[in-house]
Amino acid sequence: MERKQFLKRLGMGSLILPLLQACSSDDDDVTSGACSTTPTETAGPFPTKDPDSLEMVDIRSERTGLPLTVKITIQNKNNSCAVLADAIVDIWHCDKDGYYSEYGGTSMQTVNYTSVHFLRGRQVTDSNGLAGFTSIFPGWYASRAPHIHVHVYNASGVSLLVTQIAFPSEITDAVYTTATQYYTKGKQDTYNSSDNIFADSVDSELATLTGNTTDGYVLTHTIVVNA
Amino acid sequence: MAKGLIRLCYSKVIDASASGVWEKYVLDDTYREFFMQAQYYNQQQKFTTFREILEHDPKADRLHALVSTAAIGYLRQLNERIPDITNVSGKVFIPFRNFKFEILHSHVKDKYQHKIAIHFYSEVLTWIDTVQNMFLLAVGDKREALRNGQMIDTEMVAWRPNLSISSFQPATDVQAIEAQVQEGSDLKL
Repeated sequence: MERKQFLKRLGMGSLILPLLQACSSDDDDVTSGACSTTPTETAGPFPTKDPDSLEMVDIRSERTGLPLTVKITIQNKNNSCAVLADAIVDIWHCDKDGYYSEYGGTSMQTVNYTSVHFLRGRQVTDSNGLAGFTSIFPGWYASRAPHIHVHVYNASGVSLLVTQIAFPSEITDAVYTTATQYYTKGKQDTYNSSDNIFADSVDSELATLTGNTTDGYVLTHTIVVNA
Repeated sequence: MAKGLIRLCYSKVIDASASGVWEKYVLDDTYREFFMQAQYYNQQQKFTTFREILEHDPKADRLHALVSTAAIGYLRQLNERIPDITNVSGKVFIPFRNFKFEILHSHVKDKYQHKIAIHFYSEVLTWIDTVQNMFLLAVGDKREALRNGQMIDTEMVAWRPNLSISSFQPATDVQAIEAQVQEGSDLKL
């Protein structure tokens, strides 16, 4: 007979069950006087809220490449272009060789290994409307100019804008031909002017980059949404 | 002697009927992640269910992996022990590191339709025998110790729905195989 059923039939299940559980479940607790040492548990009987694993500043995982600091400021067109605090900003981009994470569908993952989630992250804008990430300079893949994907949400997670950030070609050329310890494919095959996404809109999607091919770059960009 | 080495797979399905705190956290947070990420594949907001979004854009298959990011913190809280599958003393003990995350169903306007599965794949276990509906197991590869006649720690686990043997390597010990043949023992459960 199940213990619970047995106790129910005794008519005292709710009263006595906690007492029995406290005495029976573990033999590694130490009792001294009126209190017992809390037992060690391997499983999480008391789960805690855990933030999404995307919520991180450093999104490099184990991916190597020229350091890139990404600083994105969000402005609200519906509020005279004032900065927008508490917006959720997702970014993702390819690695130095042009590969993305998360394209595995339901493939096997390893719980302590974050490699399937590289170069993808989420930050909430601060009071200056700024979201910052530590990453690497993206590589490129065939038929696309180098870019960073951005998805901006309001604080409730409602989508405000899906967009992309373009890179100045003189800088991508310099990185891909100079930082060859990382980037081995040479110059990109598609420039912003002939890119399907950027050709008609690059003026408002082009980032400002400062830095060099030894120490890395800082990317700054402003994105305007209707919040 | 052991029947062989196995890996168990436990498929844990979580939906709105879940009562555990861990399950509720996983469901709430993966739903929020689904709600957010699905908008990328549904920018015209024409579709409401995961199935519709997937039919419209096969790339939405990435949502399984994308949404799993909201569950990983909770999976780490399990300390590499498969949940729910306990020994006869009620303790979880089956080690796992690998899992698959799957969105079974979801709806962008109704969180109560959100239903997910987490498939936990155990590390290698030595399957020694089966006693009624119980697996007699040892954690790790204990074939050598058994061959040497050593005493080893074992666990007993009841078979249950959603628990399966996901991979199997028969005992290579010739005597063990011969013994099984003589006994007419069945490798199936």
